[in-house]
Amino acid sequence: MPEAPTLIAEAIRFDAVGKTFPTRPVPLRAVESVSFAVRRGEFLAILGPSGCGKSTLLMMAAGLETPTEGRLERGGVELVGPHRQTGVMFQDATLLPWLSVLDNVLFPATIRRIPRAQVLEAAMRLIETVGLKGFEGARPHELSGGMRQRAAICRALVLDPDLILMDEPFSALDAITRDEMGDVLLDLWQHTQKSAIFVTHSIREAVLLADRVLVMSRRPATVAEELVVPFPRPRTPALADSAEFAAVVAHLRGVIARNMA
Amino acid sequence: MKAVLTSTLAVLAMLLGWEALVRGKAVSADLLAPPTAVLEALLRHPEILLDQGISTARETALGFLLACLIGAAMGAALSSAAPLRRVAMPWVLALQIVPKMALAPLFVVWLGVGAPCRLAFAVFIAFFPVLIGTTAGLAGTDSGALRLCRVLGAGWWQTVLRVRLPYAVPQLLAGMKTAATMALLGVVIGEFVTAQQGLGYVVMFAASLGETALVLAAITLLCGIGVALYGVVLLAEWAFARWYSAPMPAGEFG
Repeated sequence: MPEAPTLIAEAIRFDAVGKTFPTRPVPLRAVESVSFAVRRGEFLAILGPSGCGKSTLLMMAAGLETPTEGRLERGGVELVGPHRQTGVMFQDATLLPWLSVLDNVLFPATIRRIPRAQVLEAAMRLIETVGLKGFEGARPHELSGGMRQRAAICRALVLDPDLILMDEPFSALDAITRDEMGDVLLDLWQHTQKSAIFVTHSIREAVLLADRVLVMSRRPATVAEELVVPFPRPRTPALADSAEFAAVVAHLRGVIARNMA
Repeated sequence: MKAVLTSTLAVLAMLLGWEALVRGKAVSADLLAPPTAVLEALLRHPEILLDQGISTARETALGFLLACLIGAAMGAALSSAAPLRRVAMPWVLALQIVPKMALAPLFVVWLGVGAPCRLAFAVFIAFFPVLIGTTAGLAGTDSGALRLCRVLGAGWWQTVLRVRLPYAVPQLLAGMKTAATMALLGVVIGEFVTAQQGLGYVVMFAASLGETALVLAAITLLCGIGVALYGVVLLAEWAFARWYSAPMPAGEFG
């Protein structure tokens, strides 16, 4: 169900967005005057240390938190709540334990009251692309952590959103599975024109997957540095073994170290 | 299989020992009737025991059902409205501290000596575990699943039916298991204080005549009712677990 093309070239725009939580005794300043935009079709990685407020940033993009300052625009319109054309992935797969993999993938359609037949084909195609073919009828507890997260990717994509938000989606996985999942995502993005915001603290993931990387400062989160990743698409996982890749990773590591000092 | 055999043999051995103690005059048959006498009492008055047993079973089942409905409804109401919870919860808890058996005679004063009194008392002592099971179950919904619902723009009813309820059922069933035993207890106490009908009445009446065999026969039937009702809940739990088809997050309750 592709949306009619709009004249707005930005999927989402943060305009001097700030967020303060009314905690006691001292209010918690999580995000400080953040401005950036994600172009249509762009994959943006947000890189920062744990607890720097980058998740808060993503929750605001998902419409689950409201900014206390500034303005958030989604497709040129102010964002006031969860958006129908946004897919979200969290750190945990959060599959419903009593539903099969297929029913979990179709859950967004169930909630939106979209007939199953209308999205079944897309769901099956996604399940095949992420390598879960043959597990459609399995229950979440029968799957490994990586397989659950694959199902969660399918669920986020099943209604063909134009923007995907991912909050450290692989940080609960072991290192090997984690690299594998990065490759799955890279593969998926060869074929789509979707925009994405990918929050991570893995420099490798950020450089491999993203067109552009924002490095966040320590809390309260601000954009400390922006880097356009100089590698053309399509990319392959082998890119991560190249000297150029290592140079970009090293540069980013330096940026992060400077910001933490 | 071996475990079943061992426990069956242990029960048989205990019954034999009991019989031997009474026959060997170590214990007077007037104080404790031997198993054979209990069996004989069961067979001697089948129609009386059956009649009274049906009365008890019917009231227990009805009391249990009402306790489940009222407990679940109150639990759902309390979980959905924080102000209501603040007002009602202290009262609900205070009622639990009162030794509830002591209130049984009051129920007679309020409702007379008929079935309504016994039913009301059974519901009164059985609804609480269901209420707690419901609130605990509804509160225990995976927070990630709730966040997913918000992201997808799920409505209140959708969230309840598709996510909260399935997460709550294991706790609700655990509460219902406790309620099944409480409902029977409530009816029997009701029969004690109303002294009108039911196996509890048979127990009181036979005990006053020193008919220990009949007392034990009535208690045997009460056990049967208790096991049957508990079995129904276990069956429901089994059916749910099959549908759920995943390890249930909640275990025993209370």
